[in-house]
Amino acid sequence: MSEARPPEVAEGRPALSESVRRWLMRPEAPALVFLVLLMVVFSLAADGFLRGPNIQTILTQVAVVGIIALAVNQVILCGEIDISTGSMLGLCAVTAGMAATAAGGLVLPLLAGVATGAIAGAVNGFLVTLGRIPAIIVTLGMLYALRGVILLITGGSFVTGIPADTRVLGIGTVLGLNTPVIVLFTLFVVMALVGGHSTWGRNVFAVGGNRRAARLAGLSVDRTRFLAFVLVGVFTGIASVIFLGRAGAVQTTAGTGIELQVIAAVVVGGTSIAGGRGSALAVLVGATLIGVILNGVLLLGVPSVWQDFVLGALILLAVSVDAVRRRMVGDEA
Amino acid sequence: MSPSQDSGEGVTGTAETPTIFHLEGVEKHFGGVVAVKGVDFDLRRGEVHALVGENGAGKSTLMKIVNGLYTPDQGRLEVGGKTAEFSSPRDAEESGIAMIPQEVDLFLELSVAENLFVGRRLPRTRWGGLDWATMREAAREKFESLGVDFDVTIPVKHLSAANRQIVAIARALLREARAVIMDEPTASLADRETRRLFGIISDLTASGVGVVYISHRLEEIFEISDRITVMRDGEHIVTKPASELDAEELVRLMVGRPLSELFTRSGSDPGEVALEVRSLTRAGEFADVDLEVHAGEVVGLAGLVGAGRTEIAQAIFGIRPAEGGEVRVNGEAVRIDSPQSAIKRGIFYVPEERQSQGLILPFSIRANISLSILDRLSRMGLVESRAERETAERFAEALSIRGARISESVSRLSGGNQQKVVLAKSLAREPSILILDEPTRGVDVGAKSEIYSLIDNLAKEGKAILLISSELEEVLAMCDRVVVVREGRITGEFDRKEATQESVMAAATGVRSGSAANGPPDREKESGSSRVQEGRAGHE
Repeated sequence: MSEARPPEVAEGRPALSESVRRWLMRPEAPALVFLVLLMVVFSLAADGFLRGPNIQTILTQVAVVGIIALAVNQVILCGEIDISTGSMLGLCAVTAGMAATAAGGLVLPLLAGVATGAIAGAVNGFLVTLGRIPAIIVTLGMLYALRGVILLITGGSFVTGIPADTRVLGIGTVLGLNTPVIVLFTLFVVMALVGGHSTWGRNVFAVGGNRRAARLAGLSVDRTRFLAFVLVGVFTGIASVIFLGRAGAVQTTAGTGIELQVIAAVVVGGTSIAGGRGSALAVLVGATLIGVILNGVLLLGVPSVWQDFVLGALILLAVSVDAVRRRMVGDEA
Repeated sequence: MSPSQDSGEGVTGTAETPTIFHLEGVEKHFGGVVAVKGVDFDLRRGEVHALVGENGAGKSTLMKIVNGLYTPDQGRLEVGGKTAEFSSPRDAEESGIAMIPQEVDLFLELSVAENLFVGRRLPRTRWGGLDWATMREAAREKFESLGVDFDVTIPVKHLSAANRQIVAIARALLREARAVIMDEPTASLADRETRRLFGIISDLTASGVGVVYISHRLEEIFEISDRITVMRDGEHIVTKPASELDAEELVRLMVGRPLSELFTRSGSDPGEVALEVRSLTRAGEFADVDLEVHAGEVVGLAGLVGAGRTEIAQAIFGIRPAEGGEVRVNGEAVRIDSPQSAIKRGIFYVPEERQSQGLILPFSIRANISLSILDRLSRMGLVESRAERETAERFAEALSIRGARISESVSRLSGGNQQKVVLAKSLAREPSILILDEPTRGVDVGAKSEIYSLIDNLAKEGKAILLISSELEEVLAMCDRVVVVREGRITGEFDRKEATQESVMAAATGVRSGSAANGPPDREKESGSSRVQEGRAGHE
């Protein structure tokens, strides 16, 4: 408020129509615009980019990250953070893999993975809420601890020989659609509904938007945050079975580095790292954007040594677009 | 109430006294809100010019224009006879205008000397390094000239609030200043420290410096100021020599209408005891608090800032539960250990800090109102959006929240409308007991009047209301009973007839033993005996 602003800017904003302005105010708008632009560029530059199979490939590749990010999104909206998902994914894949080699089928490995994730998530949530320890410290500790648990369980050896009936979640197709893509979109729809229409989903936004006010309004801040951490475990468990199916084996290093891709997907999509603002769509857009960048770079034949640089630069560009948008709509948030 | 300091007498009110700065027809808008409209103001050499008005009257905004923090949308600022256009406080400082802001913003980890030099051109040694010896020396000299002895090498975080205030003053005065603006400088000071500050002010005026003094403490204003300017709702009301005004007249000018028209309170008809508190205690904050609020009754909780009123209310609401004592709701002993359990018992608390505790700023008006009743509006964990919208619309209308659709974000609303949203959220829960903590702080006079009539209506509906307020007029006009807190203990209880400025103040400060006050008669004089008046350092 330190600068003079002519009153008509606040009242009318004549330059943009109201509906356009409202749409631009949505958290995922800049990432979506950027995604569309990038897809146009890539489809002009690289033959075959915009074909159905290639799009499906991209979505399949980002499914694991996207599914975990849908849950981590809720944690970040609460004003917390979870950086333990890399090791959590590895551990879930190990337990799911062991269940698969022992019993086969899809249900039991899935239950094993989800249960493992839920327990790990509950530990995170417990330490953050009742322990009152900052989430970044708790989940950093868990990132190491869970990796340690993997080594203790496996003794350093791989889990191999995953039966085909377990792998369907990773490599199966239904009506021409890859199962990972189906799972991703199903969970996206669920989270979009949860975010907009469920009590817990609304509480998540309230807790992240103003924790004190939420508490004074009678919300259970601790329960809301705890459930968010457990949800990360559950979704990581689901994602681990996709991961297992696609890889067919689990190394002790499985999932390493995933946690940062997950956070990148959430934040690039438009969810505020400070909490209280974002959406499930933002996550889907963010994850897809990252997949598109990696895929497009590959199709264009960019040398692989450039990939990380291009990805990082494009992420920064996407975030800059957001800064421009805020100025356009006069959004101080 | 001596009219002025000895130093100020020689130059008081004489027309020939040169003007230091002069504002003419200044206007300032924030978005659609007019903060200051067409205000004239001037400061003469060697005078203390008090600037008074209610919270939100535009005092701080006006002075921030003089200090270069804001640029006026219209009107002009003249310094030493020439038009000045400041684009930063640094420009103002170049012209000899210094401001000590309301909230002292020092760097806690840095030393006193470093704090004085932050943001200024720092002296260098021959080698290009910073010349700390010179800086420390300059700092020491400055404190000496203020008549205080200070170790300039210790970090500011080790200083008391009063000493931090002195550091802020020294920082503002490091460069020779011709005009000093002080915004609520005594809000956090005890009596002795206030005296020290007045000593500094009289030294300044004796040397020809002009002082603009913003304060809510009327007694102080009459003690030190030569002239008084009153602002209300962004407009200049009057400028007069202090000797031509008295406290009653000043309050009337600040509020803008006879107090009787601002408040609405129809006769009360108290029912059963709704809230009963017995020997509530929390070590270091309050002890042995007994309190009763009947249905249909408005009970005021008065006292100085920091007396423990908010702490008592927050204990009843379970934010920081009490360690001992008992709370009864409708005669039934209850255990309240969180806001949730208090809300279940039909208690709701409206916090004093609207933005940091009352609102979810990124949320729409609708989502803020429905926040407290989402569980009631949901089936199987899913929110029924039609029921939500209808409820929000009903309350937005009942509280006449104007100027926005309920789907708009609350962050764009004015202070008064934001406060109405907070109230709507509380009322949506349909509590039987309502605790209002400074409900009219920082809202304009119009919204104030609406909130008072709302309180009156709620009492008529049979709700039990506990009203915490630092504005004595508000307490006296709205409450059926007034309970006074001093240093965490109840020191007086007055019914509507007994409650007067004098009796409540006496119980709040313990200076004189009022007729009904059972506090110890002659304990040490409390800081600023008229702080009850409007002691809160308001946010403008």
